[in-house]
Amino acid sequence: MLYGRVLKSPHAHARIRSMDVSKAEKMGAVTLTPDEIPDVIYCPRLVSVPEATYKDWKVLTDKPHYVGEAIGAVAAESEEEAQKALEAIEVEYDVLSASFDALDSMKPEAEPVHDEIYLKDDLLKVENNIGCQLAITEGDPSALEEADVVIERTYRTNRRYHNQLETKSVMVRPEADGGISVWSTTQTIHNTRLLLHDIYGIPMGKIRVYKVALGGSFGSSIHVNPVVNIAVGLALKSRRPVKMCYTREEDIRDHCAYQMIFKLKLGANKDGMLAGGRLEAYLDIGAHQIQAYPLLGCVVGWWVSLYKLPYKDYVGKAVYTNKVPSCAFRGYGNPQISWVVETMMDELAGKIDIDPLDFRLKNYIGEGDLFWGQGPSVKSIIKSCGVEEILTKGAEMVDWYNRPNPEEQTGRYRRGWGVGRGYHTSSAGAPVPSSIVDFGGAILKMNEDGTFDYVSALMDHGCGTQDAHVKIVAEELCVPVDKVNIIRGDTGTTVYDVCTHASRGVYSGGGAALKVAMKVKEQIRDFAGKILDAYPHAVRIRYDEERDQTIIFAEGIEGREVSYREIAETARHKNWGTAAAVESYRQPSCPPHFTGYFVKVEVDTWTGKVKLLRVVAGADIGTVINPMYAAGQVHGGFAQGWSMTTLEDTPYDPIDGDLVNRGSIANYKVPTTQDMLDIDDLTVFFADTYEPTGPFGAKGIGEGALNPVAGTVANAIQNALGVRFFQLPITPIRILEALKEKEEKK
Amino acid sequence: MSINKVNTHIIPMEFEYHAPTTLVEAAGLLEKYGDEARILAGGTDLIPHMKQRKVEATHIINIKKIPELACIKETSEGIEIGANTKLRAIELSPLIKEKIPLLSEAAKTVGSVQIRNLGTVGGNICNASPSADMATPLLALDTIVHVYNREGNKDYTLEEFFHGRGEVKLEPGELLTGMTVPLQPKNAGMAFEKVGWTTFDIATVNVAAVLTLKDGKIDHCRITLGACSPAPTRVYQAETILVGEEPTQELFDEAVYLIAACVEPRQRWRRAPPEYRRKASQALAIDAMTRAIEQARRLAQ
Repeated sequence: MLYGRVLKSPHAHARIRSMDVSKAEKMGAVTLTPDEIPDVIYCPRLVSVPEATYKDWKVLTDKPHYVGEAIGAVAAESEEEAQKALEAIEVEYDVLSASFDALDSMKPEAEPVHDEIYLKDDLLKVENNIGCQLAITEGDPSALEEADVVIERTYRTNRRYHNQLETKSVMVRPEADGGISVWSTTQTIHNTRLLLHDIYGIPMGKIRVYKVALGGSFGSSIHVNPVVNIAVGLALKSRRPVKMCYTREEDIRDHCAYQMIFKLKLGANKDGMLAGGRLEAYLDIGAHQIQAYPLLGCVVGWWVSLYKLPYKDYVGKAVYTNKVPSCAFRGYGNPQISWVVETMMDELAGKIDIDPLDFRLKNYIGEGDLFWGQGPSVKSIIKSCGVEEILTKGAEMVDWYNRPNPEEQTGRYRRGWGVGRGYHTSSAGAPVPSSIVDFGGAILKMNEDGTFDYVSALMDHGCGTQDAHVKIVAEELCVPVDKVNIIRGDTGTTVYDVCTHASRGVYSGGGAALKVAMKVKEQIRDFAGKILDAYPHAVRIRYDEERDQTIIFAEGIEGREVSYREIAETARHKNWGTAAAVESYRQPSCPPHFTGYFVKVEVDTWTGKVKLLRVVAGADIGTVINPMYAAGQVHGGFAQGWSMTTLEDTPYDPIDGDLVNRGSIANYKVPTTQDMLDIDDLTVFFADTYEPTGPFGAKGIGEGALNPVAGTVANAIQNALGVRFFQLPITPIRILEALKEKEEKK
Repeated sequence: MSINKVNTHIIPMEFEYHAPTTLVEAAGLLEKYGDEARILAGGTDLIPHMKQRKVEATHIINIKKIPELACIKETSEGIEIGANTKLRAIELSPLIKEKIPLLSEAAKTVGSVQIRNLGTVGGNICNASPSADMATPLLALDTIVHVYNREGNKDYTLEEFFHGRGEVKLEPGELLTGMTVPLQPKNAGMAFEKVGWTTFDIATVNVAAVLTLKDGKIDHCRITLGACSPAPTRVYQAETILVGEEPTQELFDEAVYLIAACVEPRQRWRRAPPEYRRKASQALAIDAMTRAIEQARRLAQ
């Protein structure tokens, strides 16, 4: 096996004049240069339909667009040798000017990051570095213009790094038949195969992509990570297995969340109802498009689906900059937009003199309302909603109406309560097709001892998604969970599943699991009917704990009963075949799971440090399939949101175009358990709801758990200090600066 | 092309590894290899530095096999701590907790338990990092460091030892063997305060205070400030106005003004601007002095 290393551009924008790999080759290394890769321009994320897929990527580029972009690669017998060979490659560049801010990048004098890109297969000319855009208007603009109170503000989010436990890694083995086997960090094995087929032209059946347990991903492997495509190139050239693991420094320069600049205008009337809003969103997407266009749709979708807006006007622009390419990060734009909306809802409530909680209760979108879920092309009607339960119960638990008034406190330590709402879609299902692919599939078979094998392509990122599938299958088949085995499949042994993302693992993937379980159950009933001389639709099923067997019986008729084990054995002996099913499944809806958080903080006005004192987190996720895992999602979502609000960012050094943190994780702080509040002070509760389209009434939780946090925490800080922040993160430095400014204004 | 060189995963260069078992042997190797040699103690700084190519040493000298370098013991002079003593051992030592709790308190704030199980007090000092969390309290405790070479031993005060930006007073062939924290005045109250962005973080600012009271007035007094200038600083000006006075809020306010004045901005301060460090140093100094005084009052009863 060879070890691969990637040659990265030290310039934020340049053309490669020459690359000399002879010294590296003399050292015995296999090298790979841009001209040795098929000349295919692609999009690494294959979730949208081709008509909505913008392409601007190459496996190795001869015109790097950010510091860290892959321009070459080497493979050698050890990582150390590969590293030495990497350092022996000589490259000459023509350096181009670069831009590091979305607003600067749109100026006419800015150097184009890309001249031409592709939409589907059509060549597009890029103007003003705007990669793609979307505008939507609904309703009568006078509703906003004539509103009693109108607020307009500009907000800027941070650029966060996913900081997933493992760095992007891959192992590729060339096979004797000309194919390849791939083990990689991915959220979708089938889309990995699709892309490798598109780039390298290998027939799909000869590409086997295997499921690998992931140590977290948070959206950073919805797209096929660049390292995968590079390793395939090295393996095909060397005809040897190649392993590549990004160093943390490479990983920090590989992916990040979308940084957004929002100009938001919201109007409300004295009766406590929102009148309308206008949103301009500038997405600083970095140097490449991964899923910028669908995100423009989601940003408006997230915005208009929190609260009812009689008038809404939206313009979204995805802007290229010479920075690390942005991709989905837990919430996919929703944590950003929810921070902005929840911050402004508090401010508006103050202006029309209504309690911010009551203001939310008056305006939220709930049961029976149209939900835009994943943007304007994915719409469905909300069938289950726990918003009111969450907010009223939470308010009672924290004695909301007696919280301190902002401005009232003096002294060094000041305390404040904040409320914030969030939600997220569960999948991108809808009654009609949209521009987003969302279906999955599963295989289930009864083994000859009456146990079951469950095979699914759906990836589990360590969240217990497959565990939930097992519970769904077991519930339907009336067996204990240990009778259902999870078989780790690959692209050759599973049917297509789009991806584990969009909080669809339990709702959409679990829907497919339920469908195959129902089919297999039908066959088992048929077999049992034959054995018992009973009507299959009339037999009943129960689990016998003493025998540890599920029993099918004709109720009231003595002796007419048979166990799953006996059924499986009989089916084999009598050559009836295997009770098995393979199904694909598309959910008819994208039901939102709702969250509402209450947070109490204490701000040290001398050091600017914010301490968490109490969190009450309510969630409506329909039927809770695994209460501990679901609460764990809320804990993790809260911690990640807290980190987003108070700590994380990846600013750039405009002089050399590299990250200010230089790729060092020691310079990218995230909280540890010691920085969070005591677990006993974090209360999670679930609303009593049932989603009629979900498997046994279940919805998702993964992303909704994070989405409300920034808004909630920001509102709590405002309640403590009487100061609002329009930029994330709200660091101790910014808090002291804001307090000083406030002091000076007095 | 540092982007293709620097990482925290691979050490692609060759080096020779030495594991002396005596001080004489270690000093001989250091003398022989000079600039080509580096001492490996905890490795929490050296190994990342080698991966990041900040250090390209061809001889690595592991001093962990020299038994006398790891110790915490009481002598007639005070408490002696070997250079190779783990930070975790200092944090947990009953002797240190009893006699110089300040040091245990400060050790506890360094990184994580895993890092403290590896990192040594000698390494923390010899790296001469302005933000070293052990240096600030050791300075407040009037610590004497012991340096060995084949001619014999040399002692320095910590202020002498930190003789420049990122440098300590060690000649080729010399190594730090340990330090002695002199016996502290009876009834001394002591406190360490630190602000970082997370619990694992290095200090953005840290402050140590050691104080005693005599007839209700401040008698012995040490105030030190870390991470705000090239080396940890003893704030003499503040000490001068505190000594002989009753500890009042007004007095503290005056003192912290002088402490904040010691913040010497560096050109490439990425973590926090001078303004923040000044403000935070005042807050930490108030906290440290207040806690130390409370403790001194309790001990006097």
